[in-house]
Amino acid sequence: MKTFEECFTAWVDGQLSGEALAAFEKELAAHPEAAADRDAARQLGKLLRAHSTAPALSNADFFSLQLQRRIDAETPPRRQPVKPEREAVVSIFSRLAWAGVFFLVLAGASFFLTIPHRPAQPLAPSNYFAQVVESWPSDPGISATTVYNPEDNVTVLWLDGLDYMPSEQLALK
Amino acid sequence: MNEVAMTSSNPSPTEGTEPAGAPADELELVAKAQAGDTAAFDELVIRYRQRAFSMIYNMVRNEQDAWDLAQDGFVKAWKSIGRFRGQSSFYTWLYRILMNVGIDWLRRKQIESGTEFDDTMGLRNVEAGAVTAPRGELAPVERISDKEIRERIDAAIAKLSPEHRAAIVMREIDGLEYSEIAERMECSIGTVMSRLFYARKKLQAMLKDVYENI
Repeated sequence: MKTFEECFTAWVDGQLSGEALAAFEKELAAHPEAAADRDAARQLGKLLRAHSTAPALSNADFFSLQLQRRIDAETPPRRQPVKPEREAVVSIFSRLAWAGVFFLVLAGASFFLTIPHRPAQPLAPSNYFAQVVESWPSDPGISATTVYNPEDNVTVLWLDGLDYMPSEQLALK
Repeated sequence: MNEVAMTSSNPSPTEGTEPAGAPADELELVAKAQAGDTAAFDELVIRYRQRAFSMIYNMVRNEQDAWDLAQDGFVKAWKSIGRFRGQSSFYTWLYRILMNVGIDWLRRKQIESGTEFDDTMGLRNVEAGAVTAPRGELAPVERISDKEIRERIDAAIAKLSPEHRAAIVMREIDGLEYSEIAERMECSIGTVMSRLFYARKKLQAMLKDVYENI
């Protein structure tokens, strides 16, 4: 539903057609001056169009130049290129990596120098079939292995971690 | 009341000159400008500076103000060009910015000068549809010079509110369709038609002796 003002504007501009036009003109029958008013509105439009020609933009090049200066002044300076920042980041990570490697080497060297090592096994494994299949040590730090000494031609039961064994326990099955 | 059936008997003067979207070379310039290329933006300025100036001039009716406001409009366009999506031509997008710049300036001027625009001034006791222009009350003018006509038009338009002024300029001078005006003023088509109705009535009342005697 349109207001009278909307219909009248559309009527002045020739934007009404068909049934809408017929119905509105029927409504306007009560306003005999409406046609004159529409013609006056159209005359006004012609007057405005005929006398509203804007002057040419004087000094058009200066307009562009001045605008360019304003844009330059009001545009924040662009950021520095990203590449140097990346290079700086890469340099920092590289230094950190080398420092990490240095400290790893240092820690490894300290470990080997300060932690006592178990002496290397002086004896070669036995050539005979002698092997500890199962053991039940009272201390979990004690382990049992067999070794063969070719010089003496003997097989030795090696109990690693056992500091002391009571004499009554020395009897072997 | 009747439903309004719109016809397209009054083609917009922009038809045939502005495609629905932006032309390819224009889009290329816009893309470059969006990437910060001021030379590309300058090319767009060169293309549209005269139209922008004319459009603003018709709103403010003063050459120096129109120059400054056209510059403001282009600066705003530069700052917000990243938001241009190419769904309309660049000028259509620019036109909306210029229109807002013009309306804002008129509102500021209105506040500074203490002027109040009464959109229904002189129409309160007039029946809708009644002839509102004075009839035969003014002495006929034998010959009015173009300069004088322009001054009368300027003075009459200056008495319109910014919204009525924008509506009448877009419709009568720039020849835009109601839908285009509504889109650029961000209001309904009904509001546009209503603004046109009252703006015309006021101008008819002020300029009747002019358009009847030329």
